[in-house]
Amino acid sequence: MGIDLIFFVRTLVFPGFLFLLVLVLFFDWFERKVAARFQNRMGPSYAGPFGILQPIADYIKLFSKEDITPKQTNKFLFIAAPLLAFSFFVFSLFFIPLDGSNVILGSSFEGDLLLVLLLVTLANFGIFLSGWASLNPYSGIGATRVLTQFLGYDIPLIILAIGPAFLAKSLSIVNITASQSLPFALLIPWSCALFILVLQAELEKDPFDIPHAETEIVGGYETEYSGRKLAFIKLSEDFQFLIGAALVTVLFLGGSNGPMLFGPAELWHVFWFLIKTLGVVFVLEYIGNVAARLRIDQVVHGNWKLLIPLSILSLALTVIIEPLLRSVTG
Amino acid sequence: MKMFETAVESLKNNLADAIVEFRVPRPRKAYILLKSERHRDAISLLLKEIKDIELSTITGVDLGNEIELNYHMACEGVVTLKNRVSREKPVTQTITDILPGANLYEREVFDLLGVVFEGHPNLERLMLPERWPKGDYPLRKDWKLPADQPDFGSEGPVQAKSAEDTTGSIVNVVVGPQHPVLHEPERFSFKVDGETVVDVEPRLGYVHRGIEKAAERMMYFQDVFLVERICGICNAAHTTVFCQAVEDIGNIETPSRALYLRTIIHELNRVHSHLLLLGVGGHLLGFEALFQHVWRDREPVMDIVERITGNRLMSGFNTIGGVRRDIDPNTVEKTLKTVKAVRKRAVFYKNVFEEDATLRLRTEGVGVLSREDALKLCVVGPVLRGSGVASDVRKDDPYAAYEEIPFNVISYDDCDTWARLMVRAEEVLESLDIIEYALNHLPDGRLRVRVQRKIPEGEAVSRVEAPRGELIHYVKSDGTAYPYRVKVRAPTLANLLAFPGIIRGGYIADIPSVMGSLDPCFSCTDRMAFIDNGKGKKWHWSLDDVNNSKNSKVLI
Repeated sequence: MGIDLIFFVRTLVFPGFLFLLVLVLFFDWFERKVAARFQNRMGPSYAGPFGILQPIADYIKLFSKEDITPKQTNKFLFIAAPLLAFSFFVFSLFFIPLDGSNVILGSSFEGDLLLVLLLVTLANFGIFLSGWASLNPYSGIGATRVLTQFLGYDIPLIILAIGPAFLAKSLSIVNITASQSLPFALLIPWSCALFILVLQAELEKDPFDIPHAETEIVGGYETEYSGRKLAFIKLSEDFQFLIGAALVTVLFLGGSNGPMLFGPAELWHVFWFLIKTLGVVFVLEYIGNVAARLRIDQVVHGNWKLLIPLSILSLALTVIIEPLLRSVTG
Repeated sequence: MKMFETAVESLKNNLADAIVEFRVPRPRKAYILLKSERHRDAISLLLKEIKDIELSTITGVDLGNEIELNYHMACEGVVTLKNRVSREKPVTQTITDILPGANLYEREVFDLLGVVFEGHPNLERLMLPERWPKGDYPLRKDWKLPADQPDFGSEGPVQAKSAEDTTGSIVNVVVGPQHPVLHEPERFSFKVDGETVVDVEPRLGYVHRGIEKAAERMMYFQDVFLVERICGICNAAHTTVFCQAVEDIGNIETPSRALYLRTIIHELNRVHSHLLLLGVGGHLLGFEALFQHVWRDREPVMDIVERITGNRLMSGFNTIGGVRRDIDPNTVEKTLKTVKAVRKRAVFYKNVFEEDATLRLRTEGVGVLSREDALKLCVVGPVLRGSGVASDVRKDDPYAAYEEIPFNVISYDDCDTWARLMVRAEEVLESLDIIEYALNHLPDGRLRVRVQRKIPEGEAVSRVEAPRGELIHYVKSDGTAYPYRVKVRAPTLANLLAFPGIIRGGYIADIPSVMGSLDPCFSCTDRMAFIDNGKGKKWHWSLDDVNNSKNSKVLI
């Protein structure tokens, strides 16, 4: 009985669904505020202190708005795709150890890193399908751009994620996190930098926000969406952003590890995790604000000619100097 | 100056038999009435003799029994070639085969005056709706507005005309009339194969307001305020050019202090217009931070405009015979201070456009408009200067106080989007220098001279370098207080013709940046209002009118 209660609380409240939702909204606010300050603007200011409630207000508004399904669309796909993407993203977050362990206790296994990456890939197919099902030229172009860009950048992302796994000699996220007495970002900084750059493309942030380049193709794949379904798409984007930042944290920054001072260790785990992830978000926003949007052909060339060779090189370098690093860190 | 003289001389020498009347009332302005249908010879001759000559526009004037077509050829001055066609059978030869840039101008005259240009490749409506009644030409003098509200109907679903032959992988993407890249309503039907643009069909006229017709129904002094509203951004350019034309006809000597003040407002216009475009350029290229920063730094310029003229945007500053407000020493000081601050930022932005790797990746080699094509299509302003032609009305055909103010004409030889943006980035600095010089050398004296309400009979072509390029007004007076004809050619109409050519074969992603680099301003280009004929009453369609009209179902 007691075990069941812990399971439900962990899944639904902390650090499960409810906590993740609040976290995602907070990250949404943080991202917007940081971007606004970079752009010499105020950013969200009115809803709550420092506008911190703005994302909640936005989602309430979206959820209460009219939800239109255009006539000629493939209805099932049009409705299912955003939900599919959303649930994949939420599920993959369950394998990130926020408070030192996974959301579902003991669910960590050898290879869950690959599962998370797979789920993120599948979720992006959901996003592609949502645009494809819209039968709108803008959505169609946006959807093909999602696929073109994502398929390219998924490969270097996975190659780069293997680096930390190799150093930790494990494909389990919990083990990778646990083995970072010294964050891998210090041991293999080149890998970390490349990972963040590729992540930027994966998250469709500037300069890689090609799939929903508003001045070119209006809303991209989400052009036809409105109301609740749009809210789900937006929410999945926010979740994807959190997953991206969380992946950098667990793979390169030592996850939730950090000095534990007083009180329960779980709180400190969450604290360190948040601090590190917010730092990653800041870096991602910084990159996004100092560059113009690239063109899809430039992005594809950059990926296949530059990033894939570089990521393989970086992995090779990691493998070569691994004995040296091992002797340094003991 | 030399080019204009050569042009006039060669016309006199080689086409003496075709010239009926020859007038050079002012330096750099020639009006030549040709024998019927000799305009092609004259234009071919000019194109052969003068290297960088362009057609500014074609003005059609209804003279009662004839329609006069004025071909304004610009080469440091304006040579206006007049060709008259009968009103019953208004047919003439096209010049698009010798000068492709005449395309839109001939269509405009065809649309509004009903002159048929034989041999024109695509003689269709330009400004008016497709279902405007045939044989109804608003700019003819006997035009009457129908008793009922005109039933324009609907053009049906927005579709490329050649939609049926889009087979296979080619998709039609319609940009506009409402689209994030367009800040004003126009429609572009792109044919797209994957990410490549195969073809584009532009359609103008969504904001055609008939200002040219309205101007004939108002007095000259009222028209100053009317032409000001053609364009919000370059309002000072429009009032300057109109006042110049009227002053030219009436032989009015504008005080030099007024000329300097006009120059200052005109250049402030240019500074905030160029900053606006550079910001929009950032936005169109997905560089939001640049966009926000540039627009924030544009605000002090707006504040200065407000301080000098009393209005933030529509300055209401120029009037026939001078300007309406003086500038006090405090304002001069404040302006100089602001100019200094803005220059610092402008230098920074110029460096950003010059050095930022992503910006250059997106703009270099994109939307290339070669020097030859630019001249053939008669583009103007920063677009022309971006293609390596150092042509600037302020230098070639000085007006206001530009003859006395030193400044450089910026031109780039790269011919691409980047060059067009850089021209603007550097022109901001030049404009700031001009403002500073003008403020430091402001002559004393009167602000304006009193001008009679009635303007003597005559005609005048007047040009200024608006922020977007050469802006030309043609005013004809019949001796009353009301102009007989006012013709406006805004720079966007000249530049728009180049767009399909330079975007073909490009990527979808290049559409916004290439379009932006032309700095289109469709409201300037269209100009329309519904004008009641007899009473000079003006009306617009409110949303309710639209709802109540017979076609409410189609329209909504």
